[in-house]
Amino acid sequence: MKHFLFSILPLSLLSLVALGPLKCSAQVDPWEFEVYPYATTPRGMAEFETDNAVVTSGHSEGGEGTAMGTFASQKMWFNAYEFTYGLTDRIEAAVYLAMAQPNGGQLQWAGEKFRFRGRLFDEDVLPVNVGWYAELEWHKTPQFDDAATELEFRPILEKDIGPISIMLNPKFEKVLSGVGRGKSFEFGYVAGVQYRWTRRLSPGLEFYGGSGLIDQPDRISDQQHYVFPTIWGELPGGLEYNFGVGYGLTRGSDRVIVKFNLELERFVGALFKSSEGRGWFF
Amino acid sequence: MINVSAGVPLTVKVVNGSKERIEFESFKLNREKVVEPGQTLVVRLPALRPGSYDFFDDFHADVPEGAIVAR
Repeated sequence: MKHFLFSILPLSLLSLVALGPLKCSAQVDPWEFEVYPYATTPRGMAEFETDNAVVTSGHSEGGEGTAMGTFASQKMWFNAYEFTYGLTDRIEAAVYLAMAQPNGGQLQWAGEKFRFRGRLFDEDVLPVNVGWYAELEWHKTPQFDDAATELEFRPILEKDIGPISIMLNPKFEKVLSGVGRGKSFEFGYVAGVQYRWTRRLSPGLEFYGGSGLIDQPDRISDQQHYVFPTIWGELPGGLEYNFGVGYGLTRGSDRVIVKFNLELERFVGALFKSSEGRGWFF
Repeated sequence: MINVSAGVPLTVKVVNGSKERIEFESFKLNREKVVEPGQTLVVRLPALRPGSYDFFDDFHADVPEGAIVAR
């Protein structure tokens, strides 16, 4: 795993600064502005989450900014419902329903996705905690994306330094059907720094972006890069929130996006026996 | 209260001696573990700076919080 990371990360980071002819497409997922930590949903726990993002200042034409289809990003509301279940102590599974409301339009189905996520080894066994993520997503084309089906892989890296958590999720996406099929992997990233201040209110900084195809990156001005100052914490009743305002850093990015995620976790019953410390990926 | 030495990585054994499922959770330590009745779980912790680190049972709000105190 480490060898894979070390070999592919420099190539991908290099592509961030390289110049190329194609436009950035799906490396930023506006239905889920969320940074994944190393920890997974505990075994037997179910997590219900709604992820929301509104483009308050975007682009007026489709295919620009976070809009990957024919609808424009300006005033678009992205709304996703996520159900996550802790299969084992190290692996979780999740399904998503993606909805969207274009400017002046109605809230409508935009796609779905299914994913597994896991963590390798126990905490602090390695200098950096390592996890993995594999996702299959499909979209309503051509309104919300020009690629019908996509596969995504992410290594998940996390380092805790006292009350500060640093998380990095490099993303590698492959179009399985639709526009872009037959091309190489696209590179994107999700990253965050969180400071654990109080359970009710803590600050963070999140980063989202993409550079296009690994072997043919977009021009930097066409790439999307965002920085989100965030606040996060727990509300009464165990409801967890994450609110942030994202600022686009390039011409290809939307200018301002407001995100608001809510999640609730409850124990619903375990399917498998405990795997802590004995198997199921180290 | 659990007293530990600061600056040394440590492990904490969480023993669920009750007949109900519990969740060992610590916001400051960034740990969240479900422990079945009768199960013992080992929680690995990094070297801690001097201070108090609260933990609680997230499934039983009526159970008083505990603290790991690193000196």
